[in-house]
Amino acid sequence: MSADPAPPRAGAPLDRRDFLRESAIGLGGIALSWRFERDARAQQAPSRLPSQAPSHGYSHFPPRARRVIQIFCAGGVSHLDTFDFKPELSRRHGSELTSKGENKGFFGQPGRLMQSPYRFAQHGGCGTFVSSLLPGIAGVVDDLCVVRSMVGRSNNHTPATFQMNSGFALNGFPCMGAWLSYGLGAHGEDLPTFVVLPDPRGMPAGGSINWTAGFLPAQHQGVPLVPGSAAPIHDLSTPAEVPARARAAGRIFRDRLDRMLEARVEGEAGLEARIRSYELAARMQISVPEAVDIDGESASTQCLYGIDRPESAGFGRNCLLARRLLERGVRFVQLWNGGAFGSPRINWDGHENLRENHDAQAATMDRPVAGLIRDLKQRGLLADTLVVWTTEFGRGPSTQGLDSSGRDHHPDAFTCFLAGGGSRAGHVHGSTDEVGYFVAEDPVTIPDFHATLLHLLGIDHQRLTFHHNGTARRLTDVHGEVVTGLLA
Amino acid sequence: MGERSRWSANKVFTGRLAVLLLAGGDDHWSLQPIERPALPQLERSQWPRNPVDWFVLAQLKAAGLDPGPEADRPALIRRLTFDLTGLPPTPEEIDAFVADPDPDSYEHQVDRLLASPHFGERFGRMWLDVARFTESQGFEYDKLRERAWHYRDWVVASINADLPYDRFMMLQVAGDVLEPVAREGLVAAALLVCGPWDEAGNGQANETQKAITRQDELEDLIGTVCQAFLGMTVHCARCHDHKFDPIPQTDYYRMQSVFAGVRHGERALATAAEIDVREARLAEIARRQALLEGELAVLDARGRTRVLERRAPIGQPTVNAPVPRSRWRFEGDLSDEIGSLHGRLEGSARLERGRLLVDGSESHVITAPLKVDVREKTLEAWVALETLDQGGGAAISLETGDGQVFDAIVFGERQARKWIAGSNGFERTRDLDAAGEDRGPGELVQMAAVYRADGVIQLYRNGQLYGESWTPSSAPIDFRAGNAHLLFGMRHRGGANAFLRGEIEEASLYDRALTDDEVSQSFEASGFAMSETERVAALTPAEQIERSRLLTAIVEVRAERDGMPALELGYVGRREQPVPTALLMRGDVKSPGEVVTPGALSCVNVPFGDFPIAADAPEADRRRAFAFWLADPHNPLPARVIMNRLWQWHFGRGLVSTSSDLGRSASRPTHPELLDWLACELHERGWSLKSLHRTIVTSATYRQSSVCERRSLATDADNLLLWRFAPRRLEAEMVRDAILKVSGALDERIGGPSFRPFEALPFPANTYRPLDLDLPGFRRRSIYRMNVNSGKEPLLDVFDCPDPAIRTPVRGSTTTPLQALAMMNDPFVLREAERFANRVLDETDGGLPAAIDRAWRCALGRAPLETEAEEALVLAREHGLRLVTWTLFNATEFIDVR
Repeated sequence: MSADPAPPRAGAPLDRRDFLRESAIGLGGIALSWRFERDARAQQAPSRLPSQAPSHGYSHFPPRARRVIQIFCAGGVSHLDTFDFKPELSRRHGSELTSKGENKGFFGQPGRLMQSPYRFAQHGGCGTFVSSLLPGIAGVVDDLCVVRSMVGRSNNHTPATFQMNSGFALNGFPCMGAWLSYGLGAHGEDLPTFVVLPDPRGMPAGGSINWTAGFLPAQHQGVPLVPGSAAPIHDLSTPAEVPARARAAGRIFRDRLDRMLEARVEGEAGLEARIRSYELAARMQISVPEAVDIDGESASTQCLYGIDRPESAGFGRNCLLARRLLERGVRFVQLWNGGAFGSPRINWDGHENLRENHDAQAATMDRPVAGLIRDLKQRGLLADTLVVWTTEFGRGPSTQGLDSSGRDHHPDAFTCFLAGGGSRAGHVHGSTDEVGYFVAEDPVTIPDFHATLLHLLGIDHQRLTFHHNGTARRLTDVHGEVVTGLLA
Repeated sequence: MGERSRWSANKVFTGRLAVLLLAGGDDHWSLQPIERPALPQLERSQWPRNPVDWFVLAQLKAAGLDPGPEADRPALIRRLTFDLTGLPPTPEEIDAFVADPDPDSYEHQVDRLLASPHFGERFGRMWLDVARFTESQGFEYDKLRERAWHYRDWVVASINADLPYDRFMMLQVAGDVLEPVAREGLVAAALLVCGPWDEAGNGQANETQKAITRQDELEDLIGTVCQAFLGMTVHCARCHDHKFDPIPQTDYYRMQSVFAGVRHGERALATAAEIDVREARLAEIARRQALLEGELAVLDARGRTRVLERRAPIGQPTVNAPVPRSRWRFEGDLSDEIGSLHGRLEGSARLERGRLLVDGSESHVITAPLKVDVREKTLEAWVALETLDQGGGAAISLETGDGQVFDAIVFGERQARKWIAGSNGFERTRDLDAAGEDRGPGELVQMAAVYRADGVIQLYRNGQLYGESWTPSSAPIDFRAGNAHLLFGMRHRGGANAFLRGEIEEASLYDRALTDDEVSQSFEASGFAMSETERVAALTPAEQIERSRLLTAIVEVRAERDGMPALELGYVGRREQPVPTALLMRGDVKSPGEVVTPGALSCVNVPFGDFPIAADAPEADRRRAFAFWLADPHNPLPARVIMNRLWQWHFGRGLVSTSSDLGRSASRPTHPELLDWLACELHERGWSLKSLHRTIVTSATYRQSSVCERRSLATDADNLLLWRFAPRRLEAEMVRDAILKVSGALDERIGGPSFRPFEALPFPANTYRPLDLDLPGFRRRSIYRMNVNSGKEPLLDVFDCPDPAIRTPVRGSTTTPLQALAMMNDPFVLREAERFANRVLDETDGGLPAAIDRAWRCALGRAPLETEAEEALVLAREHGLRLVTWTLFNATEFIDVR
């Protein structure tokens, strides 16, 4: 790492039309950037030029993916009961697990090895193993790049979740979507760049920390969108008591005041940006309700996403909405499957009874995710849309405590998958040991994972930086290597 | 200028001696001793008003630029008022200033505003950004910190009182151990713990992960101290020597040794002496109370025995009460009167008045191991809670020898005031639809938990069903003879918050599942359920008189106890004596290296800067030594860092733009001599920040107009050379505060507990749903808003209000459509626009034109232009004045200072 946190601008910029389109919000990006970018860069000497936005509209090399959907299954999905088939667990079911060193569980009550309650079978042309828990996803397995060798840092939900989202196990670091918004700008200008769709059952633990822009400028933060409410985005709608005519007249007068000010204070770049921001806000008031209205989607499409079934309707709607948002120019959608920790459980945290828990969660997630991948593919979007299916950690091969049927947290090995966007379809990367405790081959750390995602988006993870508190900060901190095995 | 502290009385080392001291030191500019720079030699100029201006002028001239003209007076007073108080000036204040012919009128305004109590709120808010002050934990639980606000109030008050900056620093790292210790010192040191804290990570079972959590916690602490005061990113050296700055990894761990005894948590805001006096008094009262209550218990026991004797012949139970396998009555000893599972007192648990008393601080009773296997069972206890505001403790628990598996009757752990059948990992636990406990202190409740062989669990309270029965998914536990025991007053060993506060009258273990009737019979038969009237009636008249006397005396002694003011608690951190700190190779908790002694930055040459204290020195000595090192005038960093911050706070940008980092990878100062001149002045003026604020805002540089001169713009678009006053947008809190001030609704009370503009959704993790409440307590300044991590305040959030857990030396200043949406549609803005319209109508009663004129003066600090007034009038006539006031809130001129 050099001392010069220069903006990531090497390599060929996108073609000019892309550049213009992608930097349009760059209003936010370019015209306004002077205010904060000057602090984003280490000034070696008084500059003669206004600082330029570091990266809007630029990639380091041609991207394979132009947009991202991150699905986050909160609570910790068991790799051993989904993608990581371990016959040895059946053979040693009920026996004690030894020789793995310190127990990594959160509650520290190792029980006995437990076989998966699900049947595993090979699926698709690629023959990837998927358990009977996920029949829908098993059906699209030829589009998936399954990473069975993920390694996390923490066995504790929130730090592990933060690490998956931001690279750091602490509060307040910018999340992936924010980094992409900062690095690539927006496709369109009528919608936010980074949209968050919380699980309809509730917010995840840590709430907005999971989509914060951290120390990046506020325009890059995730914008939570709650479909079905009066204002899907906070303060989006003009309140009913304000008549439309009055609002229109007020807006015209507002712009007049700014224009008169502009005439008096010649040369202020900030004013033009403020005027533009009101124009964009007005456009957002029209484009957001249109984007979230899924009624126009055909019954077969809705069915594809599981919207016809009560258990998967809520998350299915969000998956369908995610596709609509991407089609309308959103760069990054973060889709939550699972809310905070409590009783009854509304996430994948199967401490007590793994089967009961995972059955209930998979019923909400499996069809919608499979439907989303099929739909993206049939619309030709999957080629340059990266779907990233994540969770914070896996679950241990032993029961949590004796006479139990649950599994505790397990950060040393777990599974995530990619689909589309230049990822290697029908592929399985890495493997774990005989009981899925440690990674046996090709470990992928979370910084490696992030570096690879950025690579698919045309970004060199070492060159997407922001100077904050003495360091040129990166999504990947000082780690991360692109895992070429995941690339098509 | 206030009293000078001992260590600030010395003059700064300058010249040759300092150079010699620095031999071998690093040559980076910020580590050099501060030498008073000579004023630049320039041609005569009318422009400079104080030395600040000469330094600025020199660089402007060198670039071929001229300073700008002075701002007009309305602009000047609006800028100054926002800058020094965070609020807009009133029209009257503007008029008074504009009309004041005194040549020193501007200086008078500066003095007035520096003396305003809002001055501390304005700069306190900026310090809180640096201090990463938060009022919730962050991480998974994100619990509220009810008593963290004392630190915020201390910061505001210290800035208002112009506490010398050396003292300001020292108190924040060691205020609790610097003599004379006072409440303010205890509160000031809350800096060390006012950031995020991972309760789940600290409470978990895995030792390695727990150690990593603690290391993260210390990195947050060290990072905060070093960035806030030293402008050095020392935390970068946790895993390896710093890549840019001369900070070896040893320095990081030596500083960790300084702070290793600091833990998160609440503590009484009282000195040790105050606490001792109070405790002696409490002990004396408690002794008298125990005596009286003991006598009362004897009388009551006598009454109860007589009633039971009358009910049935001696030796025969009054009702068919079930017989337990083991029973503990706590009458003077801990014997099991039926079996042989005798108990043992642990911690401060004690027996009094026939009851077991547990105080919540690790006090409990543990019994001998089971003599037979137990699967089907009933746990029963008669318990009086000391307070209903407790959670996690158990009246009775049956646990395995290693404490890993347990069944217990637990109070308030998952939901306030509710009983549950607690179990390891909540495996056999359900939240019950039952009433919250309402029995006050001393009042007994019978609680029973029945565990049937088929797995069904049922809770009872006072002989009645407590919630519905349930069948957990896991099988009932076999508690094995020799490998299980009972606990009273504790949930299980190894758990957090496991202790009960209260009294246990009696406890029983049955090796079978009682029926509903049997639980009820046990309740009836005990006699504890007997009415007081019945019991008293069985006493002789003389005994009854004696009883009345005792009751009165007990009421008096309780009143005496309750009349003692409670010790105020604050989230100021706890202290412990740490083990010696070892350097961790690559930052890995499993690779400890050499043990280090407490120390500070080796690249800073302070005479005797190497603390002469050992690796196992008392905790207080370490931080005390660090405090003196920090404030030593030979340490060049603190003065440079704070003066750069002051500059940034007034001009929007520091002389070094990375204001928490003055290291090698940071920006270079645009005006290095000016920075050193200011730092030098700070030392000379006894570390008085107010005096330096005054110097800066009375300079000609500060008073420049914001007019954008083309030639200067072409040469220096970023205004690094300060050829004008760069306009800037109000910070998030200032936007909200200005709206309230202008609408007339602002509640200007200073300090106290924060207002909470959210609904907290507790259990087991807190999340927050923002609420817009139009209530008096909610119209306070935004610095008094409880700033939680996981729920953002939408209006402030869009205006770049940072996450509280992040150290934020410089805030962003973006312009986004979401800001426009918030200002257009947020109910708060609309409501205050209406209030603003009503206010100006009330204040003018000259009809719309006068109201419009006043609205302009309140919101923008100037009269409307003719066209503005005309158009506003048309708009007001057609749509109402509130549309005009709404427009003013949305005008760029309202949220910009220029």
